[in-house]
Amino acid sequence: MLSKPNTPDCAICADNPDRQNNSLSLKISFRNARRQAKDYLVYFVTIVMAAALIYSFNGLVFSKELLELSVRMEYLPAMIVFASVVVVCIIGWLVNYTTGFMLSRRSRELGTYMLIGLEPKQVTGLFMKENLIIGIAAFVPGTLMGSLLFQALRAILLTLFGISYHFRLSFSPKAGGLTLVYFVLIYLFAQLKCRKRIRSMKIHDLIYYEKVNEEEVIQKSSRRRRIFVISIVFGIMGTLLLMAGSTIPSFAGAACIIVFLYGFFISFSSGVPAWFESRPEKKYRRQTLLVFRTLSAKLASMGIVMATISLLFTAVLISLGLGILFSRMFDFRAQQSCFDLFISDTDTGVGFKEQAGSGREIESPDANAAGKFQEYADYVHRNLSVADELQYPLYLSKDDTLTDYLEANTRFSSFYGTDMVMRYSDYAALRAMLGYPQAVMEPGQYLIHCMPYLKKGIEEYPLSEEYDKSVTYAKEGLTPGNVYTEIFHQYLWGGNGYNYILILPDDAAEKYAMHSICYAVMTREPVSEEQYYDLRDIFYRTGTRHDGIFDGDSYGTIDAKSQAQRAEASEVAMFVLPLYYLALILSMTTVTILTIHQLSEMNRYRQQFTLLRKLGMEPREMIKALRTQLAVYYAMPAVPPLFITVPLILNFENIVEPEIMMGTGGALMILAVTLGLFAAIYAVYILSAYSGLKRNVLPEHLICPDRR
Amino acid sequence: MLQVKNIEKYYGSKNHVTKALDRVSFDVEKGEFIAIMGASGSGKTTLLNCISTIDTVSAGSIVLEGTEISELAEGELARFRRERLGFVFQDFNLLDTLTIEENIGLALMLNHSDPRFVQKQVTEVCEKLGITDILGKFPYQVSGGQKQRAACARAMVARQSLLLADEPTGALDSTASKNLLEIMTQMNQDMGATILMVTHDAYSAGYASRVLFLKDGKIFNELLRGERPRPVFYREILNVLALLGGDLSDVI
Repeated sequence: MLSKPNTPDCAICADNPDRQNNSLSLKISFRNARRQAKDYLVYFVTIVMAAALIYSFNGLVFSKELLELSVRMEYLPAMIVFASVVVVCIIGWLVNYTTGFMLSRRSRELGTYMLIGLEPKQVTGLFMKENLIIGIAAFVPGTLMGSLLFQALRAILLTLFGISYHFRLSFSPKAGGLTLVYFVLIYLFAQLKCRKRIRSMKIHDLIYYEKVNEEEVIQKSSRRRRIFVISIVFGIMGTLLLMAGSTIPSFAGAACIIVFLYGFFISFSSGVPAWFESRPEKKYRRQTLLVFRTLSAKLASMGIVMATISLLFTAVLISLGLGILFSRMFDFRAQQSCFDLFISDTDTGVGFKEQAGSGREIESPDANAAGKFQEYADYVHRNLSVADELQYPLYLSKDDTLTDYLEANTRFSSFYGTDMVMRYSDYAALRAMLGYPQAVMEPGQYLIHCMPYLKKGIEEYPLSEEYDKSVTYAKEGLTPGNVYTEIFHQYLWGGNGYNYILILPDDAAEKYAMHSICYAVMTREPVSEEQYYDLRDIFYRTGTRHDGIFDGDSYGTIDAKSQAQRAEASEVAMFVLPLYYLALILSMTTVTILTIHQLSEMNRYRQQFTLLRKLGMEPREMIKALRTQLAVYYAMPAVPPLFITVPLILNFENIVEPEIMMGTGGALMILAVTLGLFAAIYAVYILSAYSGLKRNVLPEHLICPDRR
Repeated sequence: MLQVKNIEKYYGSKNHVTKALDRVSFDVEKGEFIAIMGASGSGKTTLLNCISTIDTVSAGSIVLEGTEISELAEGELARFRRERLGFVFQDFNLLDTLTIEENIGLALMLNHSDPRFVQKQVTEVCEKLGITDILGKFPYQVSGGQKQRAACARAMVARQSLLLADEPTGALDSTASKNLLEIMTQMNQDMGATILMVTHDAYSAGYASRVLFLKDGKIFNELLRGERPRPVFYREILNVLALLGGDLSDVI
């Protein structure tokens, strides 16, 4: 219709001036949109990536295959939709900001349209059509890319669930439809804001819009200093409150961080020129002058934007850090389930409490255990292919010396108050079930099996003063022997002791009161989710609950290795993936805004370097100056978040179970991975800005020395 | 001080070659104020670009204070430019993000001068050019004439030996043009600056001690002012321009 003058459509156009105008304006919009996409390639690519990410996560919402992997996945759609709402707000902000930015850069052109007689309505329409075209142009390849990305998410989840993955490219109309709804909302919001902005402007405002100079937000140095100091105080307070880890202080901390970042950037932007102006000897050293002026000009013109970007960077780093932490935590918990099925119960059988309370010894704990777990055993033998199984009791000693010692000297937090004890024969059998090498216990010794983080403390225990106070085992003639640290279901209460257990010769162990009965099973096939829930029903019916009421004095646990894996996979899907999703969208959005600002200043940079070349700046100094200017510009909003998130992430060690933070899961490693991931995303944009600037602003022969 | 010997400059491809400069030769003595005039496309800016080492010659040689500039490598050229040459452009070429003082100090900074003395040297030059009151301002806060004086200050603050001016009055009104030309004369006579100025404007050229006329890339004529008063010299320039057959606008 646009380009074929002889078609019947165009004949209609010729008779209809309105239609002709529309056709012309669409043509101009198309041409401008193409040019805009080229000028704002980084923005366009980000919108395409955003569409791809939104589509792929929407794919999770509507994927029957994935949602049916586990009952636990039923909350996944709600989590993804919640994350997507946040993402829509962020992308809405990006589109709105960039549209406004393009408007400011092209206000003269739009003013000229009005000057030659276009009505404001038409100009608004023209500008809006261009942005819609960019949106549509990004949406289509975005959803296609999203189909591939969805396959990546599908592969991750299927692998986590232990199911083999086969590539199967498909398009989900429902996911595409929801993505479209989000895009309509994003662009509707941006268009409405933009229409309001253009319609309120006069021709003069449009033509001279870009010439409006930014002014320093705070001019008085005393006020500036006050705000700077107050903002720093808020920053420290905010970080400390966030480190507390509980809900209300975290909200207060977040509020403090917001005050800090805005206060910091507003006062800092005015403070930098003042600082340098009073130190000319620093200003004129090497490229400092150019770098500091770029810094101060940027801070003056986009201090508020920088603060917002800095705030979002903080959110990115926290999201990434939490994502990694959660991922480690879920993985760790899943790994702790070493038995295919493990059931324990402190309700050791009728009459047990009376026996224990009266101090009488239990004559036949094994018979007691067998009776207790008969119903489970019946179900297991009927429905599962059993490779090995054991029902065994655990005992609770009255000695609290080791527990107290560990509480005082390690990050251990006591649960039972005294030591949990296991018979050596049971321990040996369990080790054999798990395929662990045989444990060596010399006569007159007892063994300790603990989680790795307690090993050092336990090995040092015999050398401590506390050790001598422990008379219980010494009275039995036993001294500490080897310490073992393989995974042994010791992570939660109701396992083989809480974080550690003492292995005593059978006759010594049986002298203590029986604490609980355990049932460990190794199967040839993993326990299915259905089987797990059947067993759990038995657990609820016969276990620690009496007539459906939880008995506060007794408790139990039921766990299956395969169920722990499913739990991990579901938790990763529901918590970790949305966190990464948010982090990725947030970082792409913010870095895009930074990069758009940088690339839009291409002309200013070109003028600067052309002049500097004429004035005799050395080529290598020019490249260095460009790099330093870029480095300072990109570092500015990234540095304050580091001061907040580095201590915050390092403090993760104190808010989760100690075992999670050992080895590769350590806080330092989480910090390194977080910063690495963030730096990788950041680097892609910085490098694109650098190569674009280098190519366009430095004299040709500096880029290609042969072409001089 | 400057010897330009038979320089030629060609542009274009194999099939279409444009000769911008055709065997141009002249000398500039130390302390001289020389103007180069010519119509649009006569090659005057190309000549200035070749002398300023921004462009290279196709043939011939340019020697400044004994240095053959076509033999210098890029790094040496950069050093040569910052130590020996000062520039004044039609569009001022001041950096918007720098204050006037910093724009002037830029030349010293590039010369790796001691940062502690930059401010002192800038102030000294600016006192002579009467722009000390605008040192803390940004280019968009001052007038065109003040910007051009700042450009002049930058062109001589590092004690450069040759000041190259490309249409320095092109963007100025008549009063500002007159002020600037008087400043340049003062720089030439009182401070001993050697000035090579390219201009369209006969009035501006009237301030020089010698005027070279370029036509189609060749030196067409040369006028020496000698002891003549400026109005007389100005009329002579107009006469040559009339002979040169340039546009009417060049003459007026």
